[in-house]
Amino acid sequence: MMDFLSNAAIPAVVLLIVVTAYIRGVPVFDAFVEGAKEGARTAFDILPVMVGILAGVAVLNGSGLIDMLTGLLQKPAEAIGIPREILPLLLIRPFSGSASLGLFSEQITRVGPDTFLGRALSTIMGSSETVLYTLAVYFGAANVKNTRHAVAASLISSYAGMLAAIFICRIIE
Amino acid sequence: MLNVIWVVMLFSGIVLGLVTGREKEVSDAFLSSCSQAVELALVMVGAMCLWSGLMRVAEKAGIVDALARLLKGVFRFLFPGVPKGHPANGAIAMSFSADLLGLGNAATPLGILAMKELSNINGNSPIASNDMVMFGVINAACIQLIPATILIIRQQAGSTDPSGIIPCVWVASFVSTVTGIIVAKALARVGRIPPKYGAGNGKRLKPSDRRG
Repeated sequence: MMDFLSNAAIPAVVLLIVVTAYIRGVPVFDAFVEGAKEGARTAFDILPVMVGILAGVAVLNGSGLIDMLTGLLQKPAEAIGIPREILPLLLIRPFSGSASLGLFSEQITRVGPDTFLGRALSTIMGSSETVLYTLAVYFGAANVKNTRHAVAASLISSYAGMLAAIFICRIIE
Repeated sequence: MLNVIWVVMLFSGIVLGLVTGREKEVSDAFLSSCSQAVELALVMVGAMCLWSGLMRVAEKAGIVDALARLLKGVFRFLFPGVPKGHPANGAIAMSFSADLLGLGNAATPLGILAMKELSNINGNSPIASNDMVMFGVINAACIQLIPATILIIRQQAGSTDPSGIIPCVWVASFVSTVTGIIVAKALARVGRIPPKYGAGNGKRLKPSDRRG
């Protein structure tokens, strides 16, 4: 059922848009191409932003910083109820999408998907986003140099969600 | 902000790599990241064309406006600087819908379109408006009904109940979204105080900022 819903969502949306437009007399394909041209331009504008962000993230991942931070923060984290197995994911999640997905896939087979740890890891992944990347791409596309409180607010929101994920899975367990 | 973050990332990564003898890993990662970015961007060009095109069709068919009218009340609270009937309303509505439905490839292009509309309202200033920050924060909080990728990985890992986490995901997403909205509103109000975020220090305050 869930599979069907998530697979059918895109075709359903596309069908709804195209059929409604056709009925209302919109020159559908012309409108599509007009919008697509603008989209292509925007995508090329973002490329330099992506190169920069991914280079920074790659260097961090390669340097072993996350392993070091995990070692340092393990004690204090366990004191407030964050299991050792979850800490690396918490640290990397807002910054690197590919690294967190890789870490998650590896961890989940190790701890088992239906254990408390497995459920908590899944909930964290399912309810959070690669904050830094998302913000960089969105604001980069709009040519914003000063994002003001966006990064701070997003990181606070992200960690609130991830801690809530651990808490809920612990209650339900 | 990114000017600082980027330097911190590169500096700490490179220095740590040198100290711990991982200079080869750091060097490889740095050099290969650019081709990874190009791959991502190429996928993105296709997705941007597809969804920007479809978005234009939906706009002309009046669907975007209808969706925006539906969310009018919420938007007035979240984005007080967006004028009534401005195309940004529709763009934000479409972007949130794509997020909710988990239309992965569509969500980013639609989000970018919405951010550009908000930037227009802000006079394309290099300093983000309150509405732009709010939009970015809500998007980064990731409201998603069905986290398809995660469910598939759970299934592959041999879970007997892959979708059992969905209610937990909803609660956690809710917590993070609400926290994000509250923090963004609160920080917008203190607005110009933290000078390290360089909030314009009082220059270029727009009507939207004053109201927010």
